[in-house]
Amino acid sequence: MDTVILAAEECDVANEVICAPSNVNLLFELPKWFDIGPFEFTRTSFLMFLAAAIVVGILWAGLRKPKLVPGKMQLFVETLVGFVRDGIARDIIGPEGAKYAPYLFSIFIFILVGNLFEVTPLVTFPITSRMAIPAFLAVVTYIIFVFVGFKKNGFHYLLDIAWPKSVPVALRPLVGLIELVSVFILRPLTLAVRLFANLVAGHLMLALLLGSGVTFVLAVGDVGAKAGIGLVWFIVGMGIYLFEIVVAILQAYIFTLLSAVYIQSSVHPEH
Amino acid sequence: MEGNIEVLQGAIALVGYGLAAVGPGVGIGIVVGNAITAMARQPEMQNTVRTTMFLGIAFTEALALIGFVLFFIA
Repeated sequence: MDTVILAAEECDVANEVICAPSNVNLLFELPKWFDIGPFEFTRTSFLMFLAAAIVVGILWAGLRKPKLVPGKMQLFVETLVGFVRDGIARDIIGPEGAKYAPYLFSIFIFILVGNLFEVTPLVTFPITSRMAIPAFLAVVTYIIFVFVGFKKNGFHYLLDIAWPKSVPVALRPLVGLIELVSVFILRPLTLAVRLFANLVAGHLMLALLLGSGVTFVLAVGDVGAKAGIGLVWFIVGMGIYLFEIVVAILQAYIFTLLSAVYIQSSVHPEH
Repeated sequence: MEGNIEVLQGAIALVGYGLAAVGPGVGIGIVVGNAITAMARQPEMQNTVRTTMFLGIAFTEALALIGFVLFFIA
């Protein structure tokens, strides 16, 4: 897919050392397929529904008929659920964390599938590299932790952030202001941008390196020995590819972990 | 070309991203280094330390990533 885009840009293999599209947005703004009402249905939209379907499929296959002695699929799903519920929800939020485990598990597995699309052959496009999806997930987390904060502590939730009691009186306005900005503006912003930027960077590197590698090697008839540079790009690209698998899993984990930390800070605001 | 600031725009954005990456680079080094020290001293605390380490990395890394995004916006 990306090779097609890079090739369509007519990479000048005789003069360039790497095939970069004239505009990097071309790698992320995929052409629309058709319209549904006011919405454009693109490849990204399709992949989003595909990710949701894969998540439902995995869970259905694993937990359709739960047995006392789990099969392979059930064991896999149970390990994942146990990891999020015990390793993230209960560890971070505390005993009442199990209540939030369904939400945390949902975002974890959806982001994981969406991220792993980046390194899946034939798909090779992480849906989380479009800002809309991480932004929406961050907004959901934001609504949950603000709602829980007000529900558990009433108006004191806002007061404790704006007027922190653990700080000397003279510093309270300053620290309170920093805390207000950090909790209500920077938290959701960085949560979304972290996931988005990691996946954009990864997709960009993979598309440029592997795309250039293929383009150069295929042009061996035209440029002769210079096509060897394509092999270098391809080998470096494969190294990055392995690294991106780790990044995809780690970013899904970090998004879930931070969501849990933010919810925890609303449940027990004094810590 | 003379006095034309347009041609420098991409280069300035690159320098900006480079500057934005310096601080978080040092920061992540400190976070991970201290986490390794902690794990070596108390291997039984490994899981807690690792979770906290990832949290620290995530907070520090955010600055570099904002720089990265600004590089594309600029």
